[in-house]
Amino acid sequence: MKKLIAAIALILILGIGVYSVVYMEQEIPITYDGRGTDVYELQQDPYDYDLSDPDGVAAIMVKENLAKTQAVNNVTAIVFDFRGYDTLGESFILLIAITGATVILRRGRGRMEGGKK
Amino acid sequence: MKKNWKRDDLIVRSLADSYLPIALVLGFYVILHGNISPGGGFQGGVLAASGVLLLYLGYGFRGVATALNMERLHKLEAVGAIAYVLFAMLGIFCGYNFCRNVLFDSGNIGDLWSSGTIALMNYSVGFKVLTGVGFLLLLVIYLLATEPGHEHDNTIPTTEDEEGGESE
Repeated sequence: MKKLIAAIALILILGIGVYSVVYMEQEIPITYDGRGTDVYELQQDPYDYDLSDPDGVAAIMVKENLAKTQAVNNVTAIVFDFRGYDTLGESFILLIAITGATVILRRGRGRMEGGKK
Repeated sequence: MKKNWKRDDLIVRSLADSYLPIALVLGFYVILHGNISPGGGFQGGVLAASGVLLLYLGYGFRGVATALNMERLHKLEAVGAIAYVLFAMLGIFCGYNFCRNVLFDSGNIGDLWSSGTIALMNYSVGFKVLTGVGFLLLLVIYLLATEPGHEHDNTIPTTEDEEGGESE
C-alpha cells in the first residue's frame, strides 16, 4: 500500500514537472533576446562601440533600479531592499553563530572574568 | 610551541600605529558609502573589525583588554539587529508591508541620503557586523591569551617576560 502511494505521488510530481515545462515553452515570453548588443563588434573595435547608454539586461537593471530605489549601487539596493528578508536572516545567523562561538569558547571567557576580579 | 620566537615590539607597534587609522577610515568609508559605491555593510564592518587584530599585534593582550570592553560590544551587536528590524518596520508604520522603502526619494541620485531606508539598513548592518566580528576576534584573543601554557599572568609573553622568565 505504501509503495502504491509513493508511486502515485512520484508519477504526479513528474506529471506536474512535464506540464510546467510545456507551459513555460509555450506561454512565458522571452525577457531578453539579445537586441542592442553586438559582442562581435565590441571585440573587433572597442572604441567605436556605443558606450553612452547601457543596453540589454544591464539597461533593465540600472534604469528600473534607479527609478525604484535611487541607489547607485545595484547590489546594495538588491540586498537591502528587494531582498531585505534575506539580509535580516543573514544578520541573525551571524548573531547565532557568535553566540555559539561564545558557548564553545566559554573557557577563555570565564578565565578572563576570573582574572579581572 | 617553543618559546624562542621573539616579538619585535618596536617595528610591529609602529606599523600597527600606522595602519590602524587607515583600516578604520577605510572600513567606515565603505560602510557610509554603501549605497553609492562598491561595498556595503558586511564588507565595511569586517574591514573595521580588523582594527582589533592590529591592536592585538601591536600592543598584545593587555592593550586589547584595556582598550575594548567585551560585554559592551556584545550588547551593541544586539542594538544593531534591533535597529535593522526597526528600519524595516518603517513600512508597517507608514501603512505598507515589511521592508518597504518608504522614503526613497529623499535626495538627488548620488547623494549620501538618496536611497532612504537602504542607507539606514546599511549602516545598522555595518554596525552589527563591526561589533559582532570584533567580539568574535576578542573572544579568540582572550582564549589564546589564557591557554594553559600562559596562565601564570594571563598575558601573552612579550620580550620582557621571555627575558625575565623561564629560559630554554
